[in-house]
Amino acid sequence: MAARETNPNFMNGVPELLILRLLQQEEMYGYEIVQAIRCRTGAVIAIGEGAVYPVLHGLERDGALASSRKTVNGRSRIYYSVTRAGSSRLADLAEAWTHLAAAIQTILTGGQHGEAIQRTS
Amino acid sequence: MAKPFNELRERLLRAGVAPRHVRRYLTELADHWADLTVEEERAGRSRAEAESAALVRLGGVDDLARAMIEQRHFQSWFVRAPWAFFSLAPLMLLAAMYLTACLILWSGWKIFLPGADSPFVRVDGLAILYFGVGRLLYYSAPILVGWGIGLVAARQRLQALWPMAGLALIAWMSATVQIQAGQATVPGGLGHIRMNFFPFASSGQTIAETLLRALAILSLSALPFLLWRFKRAHSVSA
Repeated sequence: MAARETNPNFMNGVPELLILRLLQQEEMYGYEIVQAIRCRTGAVIAIGEGAVYPVLHGLERDGALASSRKTVNGRSRIYYSVTRAGSSRLADLAEAWTHLAAAIQTILTGGQHGEAIQRTS
Repeated sequence: MAKPFNELRERLLRAGVAPRHVRRYLTELADHWADLTVEEERAGRSRAEAESAALVRLGGVDDLARAMIEQRHFQSWFVRAPWAFFSLAPLMLLAAMYLTACLILWSGWKIFLPGADSPFVRVDGLAILYFGVGRLLYYSAPILVGWGIGLVAARQRLQALWPMAGLALIAWMSATVQIQAGQATVPGGLGHIRMNFFPFASSGQTIAETLLRALAILSLSALPFLLWRFKRAHSVSA
């Protein structure tokens, strides 16, 4: 199996955030989740597609996701959906990420970090 | 399971990921691979090209293994606390099985031999079956526990150290155990069953005899695990 180049250094916590956000809208199985991430980010976020499963299993273990096996078109799939704890975790992650993104954006545009934090808080 | 994932499965198990997590991971990966292959075929690739491209998209073995291994909570308890699962737990299980055998012996004595001084006498009819179950449990307990240890170790691709230590402990415990039946102290009273464990040799046995008995039990209980290791070493070197 050959490897594909990914961008792991900037991905800490991002797959978790994207997965929770996508699953909050509708339940999906692994392949659908990866396709949705690729489609909605314009393929900017590149993760090894198989690496999504340990994230899903970890979230399920933490109680943020629930899974159920369903047979669709003759194939058995494991569908994931967000639990109440998962929604709460998504809100925390989204808030933290928004602050971080705003701070980075401020630096990129030459502003003060403190201003960005004040504006977003 | 699809062939491309054999290496991944072995790496995950050797790294200590619990077999049930490995199984689920590989099942979902195989499904994902099938979906990607269909997608690539729709894009005009041949079957072989589509499968190859799908594998690349899925991720390399290193990445897929690392993603799972880094999540420490997927580690098997057999790897996290081998001392508990290969020494404490088998000893407790063996003790529980011996206790059950003693209960069968004691209840059989009360049911089928109410006036007898000991349950170790000739019996007939249903009593043969009843006492036979207890005897079978008593003699097979260390073998069954040993096979259980071997099964767990093989499933988790464990090194031999902890399983063999557990097997040796079980063999020694079962070689030094002794069950005794005592008469009732008052006429018509209830007798008692006693189970003794000796550190070196049970009473009436020399250390050499106990050692021989332990070796016989160890050989029988370790046989499946040793055969599995031999077969595995043979298949790897071939």
